[in-house]
Amino acid sequence: MNNVVRSSDRSPLQQRTEQREQETLLPAVDIIEESSALTLVADMPGVTHDTLKVELDNNVLSLEGEINLNMPEGLSALHAEVRGQRFARRFNLSHEIDGDAISARIINGVLTVTLPKKDSHRTRRIEVQAA
Amino acid sequence: MFDDLKRFDVGSPQRLDWFRQLLDDFLPDGNAMDIRAVPHGSFPMINVARSDEAVHVYVFAAGLAPSDLAIDVQDNVLTLRGKRESVVGNEEREGSRPVFRRERVSGEFVRAIALPDGVDADRAEARHAHGVFEVVLPKREELKPRRIDVQAA
Repeated sequence: MNNVVRSSDRSPLQQRTEQREQETLLPAVDIIEESSALTLVADMPGVTHDTLKVELDNNVLSLEGEINLNMPEGLSALHAEVRGQRFARRFNLSHEIDGDAISARIINGVLTVTLPKKDSHRTRRIEVQAA
Repeated sequence: MFDDLKRFDVGSPQRLDWFRQLLDDFLPDGNAMDIRAVPHGSFPMINVARSDEAVHVYVFAAGLAPSDLAIDVQDNVLTLRGKRESVVGNEEREGSRPVFRRERVSGEFVRAIALPDGVDADRAEARHAHGVFEVVLPKREELKPRRIDVQAA
C-alpha cells in the first residue's frame, strides 16, 4: 500500500528515467595488456551470440547484449538481484588498437574481446649497445 | 519481468554497487535485514520467481560450466557452491602483464538463499544456458492452487 502511494506522487517523467536506469546493467570487466593485444573480458550472463552487439564507432567500443532467458509465462518475481534486460558498457580505445582486427566471442555468458595492436606499436625490446 | 519489482527492495542498479556498499558500511540503516542478505553485487546474482506449479531460481553465473556449480537443497535452503577460474591469472605466474581492471569475481564462492515453503526438492531440476542456471523446484501437490467448485444449494 505504501509503495502504491509513494510511486503515484512521482512524476511520470521521473518514473520513466528510473525505469530506463534499471533496465541497463553494467557488466563487470577485466582488462589485461599483452604484448600484441589488449584483452577485455566481460560478464554477460544470459546473453547469447544472437543478442550480443559489439560495435566500434569513432574509436569507441560499445558492448551491448540482451539477457535472453527462457522463462515460462505467468511467473511472478519473489527476489531479484538482476533487474534489467540488457548489459551495456562503452570504452574509448587508444590509437594503437587496430580497429579492423578486433575479434570477439561469447562462451557461457563471458564475452572475450581481443583488441590487437597495430604492427608499428607492438612491444619490442630495445637492445642497449655496449659502448 | 524482474524490471518492475518493487516489493523486495534489493537495491539500486548494479552500477551503484560500490557506492551502495560504501554507504552500507558507513550508514547502516536501522531496518531489519534478511538474515541471508548479502552485499549488493555478490557473485553469483540470483533471481527467484514463482509460478502456480513451481519456484524458479535463476543463477547468473557467467563463465561456469554445468560441472562447475554444485546445487544443494537442505531444509528449504538452496546452497550454491563453485569456483570460477580467473582470466587474469594468478599473481606469480602472470605478474608480467599489466592489468587495468579486475572487476570480475574469481575463486571459490558459496551462496545460500532460503526458498519459499512447500517446494519439493526431490523433484527439482536444473538447466544451464549461456551462463545462467535455472533451478526449477516444483511445489508440493497439496500447496498448488486449486479451484473450489460452488455446489448448488
